[in-house]
Amino acid sequence: MSTQGDLLHVVTSDAISPERRRLGKTLIWGSFGVMVAVFVVLGLSEAGRIGMEFATWRPALYAYLFWATCLCIAQVVLYGEQGKRSLFILPATLFVVAMVVFPLIFALGIAFSNWNLSSPDGRQFNGLDNVRQMWGDPFYWNALKNMVYYTLAILVEYAIAFGLALILASQIKARKFFRVAFLMPLMLSPVAVSWMVGKSMLEIRFGPISRLARWLGWDRPSFFGDPEIARAMIMMMDAWTFIPFMMIMLLAGLQAIPKEVQEAARVDGASGWRGFWEVTFPLMLPVSITAILIRIIFKLKLADVVINVTSGGPGGATDTVTSFIFREYRDRSNVGYGTLLAIVYLLLIVIAITVFMKLVDRWMNPRY
Amino acid sequence: MKKHIYDRLVRSGRLRRRDMLKGMGATGALAAFSGVATGTSVRPAWAAAHGALRAEILGIPGVGAGSPTDADWQQVGELCLGPTKEIVAEGEFAGVELTFMGLNNQNLHNFLFRGFLKPWEAYTGATINWIDLAQADYNARLQQSIATGTVDFDIIEMGAPFEGDVLGRGMASEMPDWVKDVIDMDDYVDYLKAPVGTWDGKTYRVSIDGDTHTFAYRKDYYENEEFAEAWAASGGEGAWEQPKTWEQVNAHSKFLIGKTDPLTGLDAHGYLDPLKGWGGFGFYFLENRATPYAKHPDDPAWLFDPETMAPRVNNPGFVQAIQDVLDLIDAGAYPADQINADPGTTAFQQFLAGTGGMLNWWGDVGSSARTSDTSVVGDVVGFDINPGSEKVWNSQTGEWEMTPNVSPNNAYIGWGVYVMATVDGDAQKKKAAWSAAAHLGGKDLSLWASAYPSGFQPYRNSHFQYDEWEAAGYDRAFVEDYLSSNADSYNHPNAAVEPRIPGIFQYYSVAEDELAKGFAGQYGSAQEIADAIAAAWENITDQIGRENQIALYKASLGM
Repeated sequence: MSTQGDLLHVVTSDAISPERRRLGKTLIWGSFGVMVAVFVVLGLSEAGRIGMEFATWRPALYAYLFWATCLCIAQVVLYGEQGKRSLFILPATLFVVAMVVFPLIFALGIAFSNWNLSSPDGRQFNGLDNVRQMWGDPFYWNALKNMVYYTLAILVEYAIAFGLALILASQIKARKFFRVAFLMPLMLSPVAVSWMVGKSMLEIRFGPISRLARWLGWDRPSFFGDPEIARAMIMMMDAWTFIPFMMIMLLAGLQAIPKEVQEAARVDGASGWRGFWEVTFPLMLPVSITAILIRIIFKLKLADVVINVTSGGPGGATDTVTSFIFREYRDRSNVGYGTLLAIVYLLLIVIAITVFMKLVDRWMNPRY
Repeated sequence: MKKHIYDRLVRSGRLRRRDMLKGMGATGALAAFSGVATGTSVRPAWAAAHGALRAEILGIPGVGAGSPTDADWQQVGELCLGPTKEIVAEGEFAGVELTFMGLNNQNLHNFLFRGFLKPWEAYTGATINWIDLAQADYNARLQQSIATGTVDFDIIEMGAPFEGDVLGRGMASEMPDWVKDVIDMDDYVDYLKAPVGTWDGKTYRVSIDGDTHTFAYRKDYYENEEFAEAWAASGGEGAWEQPKTWEQVNAHSKFLIGKTDPLTGLDAHGYLDPLKGWGGFGFYFLENRATPYAKHPDDPAWLFDPETMAPRVNNPGFVQAIQDVLDLIDAGAYPADQINADPGTTAFQQFLAGTGGMLNWWGDVGSSARTSDTSVVGDVVGFDINPGSEKVWNSQTGEWEMTPNVSPNNAYIGWGVYVMATVDGDAQKKKAAWSAAAHLGGKDLSLWASAYPSGFQPYRNSHFQYDEWEAAGYDRAFVEDYLSSNADSYNHPNAAVEPRIPGIFQYYSVAEDELAKGFAGQYGSAQEIADAIAAAWENITDQIGRENQIALYKASLGM
């Protein structure tokens, strides 16, 4: 046993023989070779290049599991106890690779294919045709434009959520009740909100909001007839559901601010507004950014309310990218094009979020 | 029968147990004296027994005696086993295992099939495994099965619009001749006869249902003297009575602007067009307007040119239909927010709730008029076939013909039972599958299904013998009014039957998107809207494969 090195964390220090190293490498590369061979055979079979026929791609899964198992075993064979340590994380990594990376690769293959489920020819690679189609697709660009509007609405949601959080953080009566009550909309399914609010309360003849509108003098209330009003109504229903989410995050942030800081500001003569604007708000910026960021991600997935209430109308005014992709997929079985739209949307989101985070980082941590 | 219809009849108080029992006796007597109407006069003794059988099954559990249960379904299945026993020996299918894929809507469809087939399983020795699907999952499940070649079922309950997807790919088993004899296909209403259910001259479908859009209108509007006087004063053409053409529908809709509904006291409105999409199904409602303009009696094709698959959706007939809607939008004839009204809204939130004077829908509107708690029009609603037009576009000559035309829209055609080609390699399994399908589509069993909650509409001429319904205890006036609008649509010589080509709902779906833009004013004219739809349809045809679509379209038309 060695008396040198990291004795605190290493129980045994293995002496790895050259034969054992060879065995480990053989395990890794041999199983990898088997997996590649299986993929190649399946690919050739799929393309009709060889006489063998496979009902499914299940052999590829088995080959991957075989390789993954050999890879794990080989870690111990090659590195002894150090290898055992890697077993704590390696299987999980391989699982994530299987569940995320492979599907993404397949999705890319589908995205560059002409694949309409009704076509007798099945899936066919069509290069950049789907990209060209997307470029000239007014429905997609319209949906993207709408997403910009929907995302900008988050600023208003944030202001309201902050206001509510401030109220709930102050000493008001029945504070616990209001905290629970304000959280309730978040517990509702957006589909339920669509029907209860969009289809029932806003129903133009019998809906209570319509009756109120008539009582207030709006003779023929119409909540989804005008493009701007319809979009605003969707924004409001979505906001009603998710403002509590931002509110609860901001409330947690407010409660984490040391009381002494605000008390010191008051002692220094800061008014209520200055105390908020120059002390509380800056301290809340990290939480705010996190809340807004997560809210943006939620917002970019907006679909259920739109699908249920307006189907994207009137004239595409409320359409979202996700609801449009849903129509391409479900109603038109256009798997290839729909997948490309989803991939492009994913890329746009990743880029936009990255830029947003960079800007925020630069703003919050200026490098002078 | 659709469950709504049954509930309506029962709740309306028109059925009483005593009447029903009297009716049963009368049916028995009727059956004893005459088999002519059911086409069984050739064998009088058998006819008497057969008539008695029909009367007997109509008494299970008895109209008005509560919803039928699994025991009732099994009893009906047992009583209707006669044709099976003539073809299949007892225990002949022992060891055969079949898988049946169908719907579970409203706990009907597959649930009934299970009961009907239980005695069949006991007699033949076969066993059936069930795949139950919700309506919303059906299309995706079927399309994925087709696209991935994973057909894990032997028998399927399927709508005729999907025949292009399934029959066009040779995925179904051709119906043996003995099945045709058992199910008496001559008894089908006209539009369900070939080419529906057939492909390249081969028969595949056992019909179990019929579907059509019928015209529902508010009788109180046309019995209202104030409206009649105002109509005459406004110089309205013709008498103030139920419109028979779309020109009249449009004129009445414009006339009703600013009037007060005599029933609700709110704003009166005319025809209710759904201006929002509905997963493709919304396009059927533009078709209602377009078929009289665009379905020429001499031409079986009306949505596409069968030689080129060039869309006809931008021909003057369809453009006229779109223009009519645009005119009504411009005139302000629709309720507020109509741009956000899908067909479900127009039927259940508007028409039945007292908004609007006219609409087209499937049978549910008629049946819900009195049973639905939110319906206020039960006593003032009338039915007819789809309105006609004063002119029709002739795609062959490329000219309008100024002759009246009528063309009911038999939207969705109806459910059928199909056997998959997966059984063709096994003679015993094939016979078993077809025997099960024939049992479900049998003439007598289907009578029971059309009279009790089943999810299916009447679809045979023998289902429209009102004497049988009356004898069973139904109110004759209602049954005749409601069912005759269906029968007249089914059997109309110029009925519009949709193309059973692959991806037909893709065409409808993309048309809905373009129409929604057009109705929101994003195109310059009706022609531009129609051209945009046509362009999108051309893309779909190219994507699915034009030559293949042409061949399948011709096959679906029986050309």
